[in-house]
Amino acid sequence: MGRPAGHDPLERLLALVARGDEQAFAELYRQVAAAVFGLVTRVVRNPAQAEEVTQEVFVELWRTASRFDPDRGSARSWIMTCAHRRAVDRVRSAERAARRDDLAGRRDQGRPYDEVVEQVEASLEREHVRRGLDALTDLQREAVVLAYYGGYTHREIAELLGVPSGTVKTRLRDGLIRLRDHLGVGA
Amino acid sequence: MTADLHTLTGAYAAHALSGGERLAFERHLAACPACAQEVRELTETAARLGAAVAARPPAVLWERVRAEVVATRQLAPVAGRAERHRRVERGRALAGLRGGRRRLPPLLAAAAALLVAAVSVAALNLGLPGRSERPVDLVAAVLGAPDARRVVAALPGGPGQATVVVSRQQRRAVFQASGLAPAPADRTYQLWVVDRSGPRPAGLVEAGGGRVTRLLDGRVTGTEQVAMTVERRGGAKRPTSEPVVVVDLEA
Repeated sequence: MGRPAGHDPLERLLALVARGDEQAFAELYRQVAAAVFGLVTRVVRNPAQAEEVTQEVFVELWRTASRFDPDRGSARSWIMTCAHRRAVDRVRSAERAARRDDLAGRRDQGRPYDEVVEQVEASLEREHVRRGLDALTDLQREAVVLAYYGGYTHREIAELLGVPSGTVKTRLRDGLIRLRDHLGVGA
Repeated sequence: MTADLHTLTGAYAAHALSGGERLAFERHLAACPACAQEVRELTETAARLGAAVAARPPAVLWERVRAEVVATRQLAPVAGRAERHRRVERGRALAGLRGGRRRLPPLLAAAAALLVAAVSVAALNLGLPGRSERPVDLVAAVLGAPDARRVVAALPGGPGQATVVVSRQQRRAVFQASGLAPAPADRTYQLWVVDRSGPRPAGLVEAGGGRVTRLLDGRVTGTEQVAMTVERRGGAKRPTSEPVVVVDLEA
């Protein structure tokens, strides 16, 4: 709570949304809907469900905007964390078994991160992230992609990749640390 | 803390821990500033991965979001601030008592009502595993329907209000009340949907006061009135008392 809502426009919008400002909420939606919907679609892999989850995410952002604390991370990170958690909850509750089969089938056709490359359009950010993923070891990249885009737990990833779950935990950590350094993320 | 816990920052940031592991790690986070800092950074990093797969949602989604948001109450500000308010109010209430006047601190009551509202809405928003006929899903479907419409009426003798959210598309309606006094002992609130052929029972409101949300039983087209009476426990077939409140959906 220490810092005033300062330079980050999303932070300012969230502060207004927390006070019930519907116009600010519309602007927030305009600015982050594509990021939220894209991530949710990537995780749940079903357009109708992705729309439902995206709707849940924005209702939650509206409802809990007052709980955003800039000292604990950026507004964008808070929003994307909410979207990712909702998407992961959705796939873990419902589609688990079906998706596992699906993924096992696809893994034979190539590395999961190739899908990322396929789906992303040419933009600096996307290219930047792709290069970051490229710079990881195979195991780091697979762990990060399966966890973040696939919504799998470290145990499931261990099973899929045939490595101990302790290895998956450490690869997730050092993979994300390497990405952080590549992307120049500060906090 | 064990070295093992420190290695969970990445799995935590990527939501790759199971429920139990997540809770254990969150306890650790509260006591380990180094891990908390690393989690902040890796969460920011993960957000960048998310933004890299952005895709424009269909335009109609905004209409649905807006409709549901209009019917969704927001959480009160953080606990720390609420607690300071409460202390101030408690002080004022005590001062009032000493002065010989007894009254409920209004902010305290409002804060409590907000909290109840937040909890009930949170319960409604919990996982919706798909289209189903469960009341909680139907409530969410009505509140999220693109054509959802709200009609509000004041409850007598206080700041409370009754709200009906109706969707013609869903042919369903949701009743919400805030600041509802508890029903007298051995009595219950009962809802009625009233059309030209008269009132039909639409469910009991089993609340000890505060805020309630429930789906109205049966189909609702949006041209009826919704009434609430006090009936004996278990409910009645026909209303036996004057309504506490009437919400006219056509108004």
